[in-house]
Amino acid sequence: MTARGSPSRFLTAVLHNGVGRYVRQLQRLQLLFSPIAADSRGARQFVEEAALDFARQHPDVVLYVSPRPGLAPALLAEYLNGTVREELIASKTCEEIMQLATKLAGQSGLDIIRIRKPFHTDNPSVQGQWHPLTNKPSALTVQGPRLQLQ
Amino acid sequence: MVVLSAARWVRSRLTDRFWRVQEVLKYARHFRGRKNRCYRLAVRSVRRAFVKSTKARREKKRFLRALWITRIEAASLEHGLKYPAFISNLAKAQVELNRKVIADLAIYEPKTFKSLAALAQRRRQEGFLAALGDGKEPEGIFSRIVRHY
Repeated sequence: MTARGSPSRFLTAVLHNGVGRYVRQLQRLQLLFSPIAADSRGARQFVEEAALDFARQHPDVVLYVSPRPGLAPALLAEYLNGTVREELIASKTCEEIMQLATKLAGQSGLDIIRIRKPFHTDNPSVQGQWHPLTNKPSALTVQGPRLQLQ
Repeated sequence: MVVLSAARWVRSRLTDRFWRVQEVLKYARHFRGRKNRCYRLAVRSVRRAFVKSTKARREKKRFLRALWITRIEAASLEHGLKYPAFISNLAKAQVELNRKVIADLAIYEPKTFKSLAALAQRRRQEGFLAALGDGKEPEGIFSRIVRHY
């Protein structure tokens, strides 16, 4: 977990999302669970109670509910930039799964690695970035016929 | 013949040794020499690297503050002020900017920094007048203190 040993990135938004329209980066959410196993109980409760509410609150996310036997229950989140994130929901309650789904819906698909700085700007300087001739008298920078005549 | 104790002859084997080794080696890939390849050497180097990285977090704060101070000193000397005079007069004029922000202003907003230097210079002159003058002149404008209650 050193700075050069582990990957890091700068703070970005995907394609300046939010400057104009906000596009939700979560494309689809697959809920994989088993209809019989004991650790999928929370997932089954979520499907019965809260899945419809989640789907209505997030109309731009496609929610797939796939009951398959003999499967570790998981939430598979696919994002617009192709990232796929799998979260295990074994032995979680319905509320916890709802919280997890809401958290995944708010994320962009960028890697979850160390962010170097908590701020980023494309235009850091308004008055012009300092250079060695900024505070020098302009006789050093101006070249022209008038100066040479004097 | 039914052998009921056959299961005891089968010993359990370690099957994920490769991934356990890779977990350590992935943090050593940018090292120099055999310690980026050989597990026995890498374990020691990776542990020392983690310890150093933990301890360095305290040093980083000191190092960055020294860097900001160097930059502010260079920028204020361009405007004819030394660093102690600049910082102390800015504090007396109740400008509560920290060194990080002043260093960023010196780089990206040179005109703002020039006005800050001018403010510090004026406050310095007013301080001299108040100390050396007779008391007949009115107190300086930038020497007034705003109290936030």
